[in-house]
Amino acid sequence: MTNGKKVALALLFFWFCLVIWAAFFYAPRAVGFKGESARIVFFHVPQAWVAVLAFCVNLVASLRFLRHRRLLDDARAAAAARLGLLFAVLATVSGSLFAKVMWGSFWNWDPREISIAILLLVYAAYFALRQAVNDPERRGSLAAAYAILAFVTMPFLVFVVPRIYWSLHPDTIISAQGTVNVQMEPRMFQVLLGSVLGFSGLFWWLYSLEVRLARLNLWREHGGE
Amino acid sequence: MFRKEVVSELRSRVAISSVGLFALTTLVAVAYQIGPYRIHEQDRPHLQAALLWIILFFGASSGLPRVFVKEEDAHTAKTLRLAARPGAVLVGKFLFNLLLLLGLEGFLVPLFGVFMGFAPRNLLALLLVLVAGAVGLAACATMVAAIISRATGSSTLFVVLAVPLVLPLLVFLIQGTRMAATTPDLTAIGPALQAVSSLTGVTLVTSGFLFPVVWHD
Repeated sequence: MTNGKKVALALLFFWFCLVIWAAFFYAPRAVGFKGESARIVFFHVPQAWVAVLAFCVNLVASLRFLRHRRLLDDARAAAAARLGLLFAVLATVSGSLFAKVMWGSFWNWDPREISIAILLLVYAAYFALRQAVNDPERRGSLAAAYAILAFVTMPFLVFVVPRIYWSLHPDTIISAQGTVNVQMEPRMFQVLLGSVLGFSGLFWWLYSLEVRLARLNLWREHGGE
Repeated sequence: MFRKEVVSELRSRVAISSVGLFALTTLVAVAYQIGPYRIHEQDRPHLQAALLWIILFFGASSGLPRVFVKEEDAHTAKTLRLAARPGAVLVGKFLFNLLLLLGLEGFLVPLFGVFMGFAPRNLLALLLVLVAGAVGLAACATMVAAIISRATGSSTLFVVLAVPLVLPLLVFLIQGTRMAATTPDLTAIGPALQAVSSLTGVTLVTSGFLFPVVWHD
């Protein structure tokens, strides 16, 4: 590992310590929530954000694979999907814990819960498809086609369904009228943004590790790209 | 391509009989266990709309992937790749799946009305939702069928891959059907119909771009 990477990793670690401290001691207690349950938002929202970010990275890598036919791009798409699945599971678990405390049930069939459940299903189906194809190039193109097809349906789930059905979740930052709608105490908003930044950094670090591993595997199997 | 599909299906009748029988069996099981009287009056439109689309989708899922799977199984896919342009293949298979779905709806929805006591307040609204649903499901299912036909274990893979993609569509279709069952106002199905049409449009356009890659790989 180069010195620059070591510094970046140390900074990420320090940043996460700061976010965890700020989530519990800097951000004020939210009004209208049971106990300290609202503090989970500083971890739940960034996890969901990273799951969507991973989906976008998967899309870009899939498009690159279809354009250049490099197996490394397919490996990048698979790495992003793997991490997206992990963060989607974490977001689902943290959201369910909050739902149990606030509303007495782990699952309430809220439109946002349905969105994340479908995102999980899409990722699971993506890997089921990958396992069903033996030829690496065909696996790459079929998985890329499915990922792109799945991606175009996601805006309907993320933006349309929550606006048609009543939701337990608060209104989105960009409202149905197109206005920016931030109703969060400034210190809470700062911690949330810091956490989003930290989780995004964590994603990129894990993603770069996965891609390095995939590059080594490809080099071992095919003698380089 | 469309004519070839219809002639080929009329010879074997595999898709027609599997889709029809699977949907009928599911309907009979649901109607026997639930029926119209075990659901509260106020819950009927919501539950019946959901049950109708679940039966339609799962009934159709036994026949929709066949359009591509049968070409791979019969080793005719290579000839088809040489004989026809990818666009023509996609449109032909899509139209055949659309016809299959419309046929299934024509057969199943009246039976669903009889067995489940389902009576829409606005028949035109229901017809519009059913046609929009058939187009949307056919668009999505045709592309997924093309993808899975190139993989092993394709028959089980179809449902795994198609369900996450059609779920948003089913959400809007169920909402539209519920509206058609509860209100005589035709405009009430507007939002659901708009969402279904946009989702179908996006799926069709994306499929148009992706199909040549999937088909020739």
